[in-house]
Amino acid sequence: MTVNMEMFKQFAEMLPRLGDNAQPPQMTDAERVSTAKETFIRKLNGRMAIDLESCIHCGHCASACHYFVGTDDPKYVPIRKLDLLKRVYRRELSPLRWLHRLYTHDITVKELQECQELVYDSCTECGRCSMVCPMGINIAGMVNVMRQGMANAGMIPAELMAMEQEQGGHESLFGVGPEQMKGAIMKLQESGLDIPLDKEKADILITTSVIDILLFTDGLIATARIMNHLGLDWTLRSDGYEAANFGLLSGYERVQKAASERIIAAANACGAKTVIIPECGHAYPSMRWEAANEHGGPLPFEVLAISEFLGREVKSGRLKLNALGRSRKVTFHDPCKLARHSGTIEEPRWVLDALGVDFREVESSKELNWCCGGGAGVFLINSAADLRQKAFQIKINQVEKTGADSVVTACGSCRLNFLNGAMRSGWDKGIESLVELVAEALPEQQPTTH
Amino acid sequence: MTLLDFARGPALEWALIIFVAGSLWRLVGAWLVRREADLSAPRSESTAAGGVRTVFSRFWPRKEFQSKTVYAWVLAYVMHIGLAIVVFLFTPHILFIEGLLGISWPGVSNDFVMFAGAVTIASMVALLVRRLTTPYLKAISNVDDYISWLLTLLPVVTGMMAYAHIGGPYPTVLALHILSVDLMLVWFPFGKLFHAILWVPSRAQLGAAMQRRGVKA
Ligand code: SF4
Ligand code: SF4
Repeated sequence: MTVNMEMFKQFAEMLPRLGDNAQPPQMTDAERVSTAKETFIRKLNGRMAIDLESCIHCGHCASACHYFVGTDDPKYVPIRKLDLLKRVYRRELSPLRWLHRLYTHDITVKELQECQELVYDSCTECGRCSMVCPMGINIAGMVNVMRQGMANAGMIPAELMAMEQEQGGHESLFGVGPEQMKGAIMKLQESGLDIPLDKEKADILITTSVIDILLFTDGLIATARIMNHLGLDWTLRSDGYEAANFGLLSGYERVQKAASERIIAAANACGAKTVIIPECGHAYPSMRWEAANEHGGPLPFEVLAISEFLGREVKSGRLKLNALGRSRKVTFHDPCKLARHSGTIEEPRWVLDALGVDFREVESSKELNWCCGGGAGVFLINSAADLRQKAFQIKINQVEKTGADSVVTACGSCRLNFLNGAMRSGWDKGIESLVELVAEALPEQQPTTH
Repeated sequence: MTLLDFARGPALEWALIIFVAGSLWRLVGAWLVRREADLSAPRSESTAAGGVRTVFSRFWPRKEFQSKTVYAWVLAYVMHIGLAIVVFLFTPHILFIEGLLGISWPGVSNDFVMFAGAVTIASMVALLVRRLTTPYLKAISNVDDYISWLLTLLPVVTGMMAYAHIGGPYPTVLALHILSVDLMLVWFPFGKLFHAILWVPSRAQLGAAMQRRGVKA
């Protein structure tokens, strides 16, 4: 484990104060309800309509959700998290709305408040519930619509509100804006690392995240070493480096779009053909799947997760790695947003294979993996701390069963949640990052061709 | 007009009209809610194949989910298969459908149909007990679940009573049986019985969307 645990502890201690800076919008109750409803109606589409019509109340989705399984509490059955959205759909959009209006009452501000826990604290939008649902209902996608409605109505956890307001207002996160980022990169450059910043032309734009700058610096260093080893033409740009997107996490569309647009503009400015997203689960779908739709047209570059990029390089033979040895017993945690949401499933396994470690698959893995319990910003929400820990216990059991000594992942949020969960429960497994393992296994020799 | 004439005359006609028109209205109405193109670059183009695969793959839970769901899944299968045998393989029903649509197929023995009916009723009772005694299922159940349950059960029970000549004069029990079917047909487009149609588009759209992202749903 390469992360500085002292730094991490300081970071974890800072989290409970994160919401102090949030500035809730002044709105009347009626405005909150009408804003939430307006968003729900605007975001609901034909696919969601079919889904909302389809539920047979079989309850199978409960068995797939880490929050239900971790607590056995009926309120966490996944489909229940959509109750308010379903009511708005039924009254306003459904083909039988004239009938539903007779006996379905309108949503209230109190219900929206009660719902906050269900769509923020107890849903990571991991999508596992969809994988068991006999009707194939996409619950996670609609929880995101719920979050968008609640965010517009100013009814989101203070921690996410503060982060979203910081990213929307100052283009910074945890106090790290473009200037601090430049300073951090210069320090790395001074230490001898060749890390190109603000190049005018580059084939590849590497993005990073404040978490990598503040905490997982080794991940950033590892990425730079790998890119240099491969002899690629790449850059980091201070006008588009932040891959984390708190607009997406909190549900606030304007900030989500602005965060994506910054990266699009930076990539266009340097003519990048590829944008690489660091180990950050939600940052990947936000650029890979959402950005083009917000942008209003296809993106003029390819978007790759760093684990996906590494897998391709290994598979093609361009990236050769030293074997780390079979004495390293490792398992892999598939980040939901990369695997189940984005199909980056085999690539990290190609890398682990090339690393020559003793790899042990967990029982329910790949597109069926259990969420770590901290995704979609839940890691930052104080009120979710106990619930998160109960969900995390599922991960502990999963990893323990493999007999591995450490768990590798490819998402900074998962890693934070693992570290925090392990710290709280005294769990002693190693928690490693894929990109750092790759950097550790880089051969001395530069490859001659690419 | 006798009760039987009413049940298989105007009541059935109206029930069928409501069944067809209501079903079309609900399906097309939901389908037509705003649909926009996805502008992101797909990981896989074979979305149609993904959709078809999920329509079939969701007939049985993947092994990772089986330990927690298999009991309910088996009960649901018993109920649905039993119901299909009763509805579509009972000779008088086939004759009725032939009169309506002009198509027919061979039936099975009446004893077997009665057995299937009994098994269907037993599985439905077990499913109801499960719903009423499982806290998380109770939390997501609504009146539609119970109406739909009752309106599925009634035709089976009254049909078996008519066949066995119990519960009153045969024409009356038969009329009650047909009336219960009429009621079920009327309810079909409005409640959860409509999943008999929706399972195909809802599974298919998930399969297609996940295939687009390179994931097998
Ligand atoms: S998306 Fe994940 S966290 Fe949310 S309800 Fe489904 S299984 Fe639970
Ligand atoms: S598994 Fe699907 S159909 Fe069953 S209750 Fe959950 S969402 Fe509804």
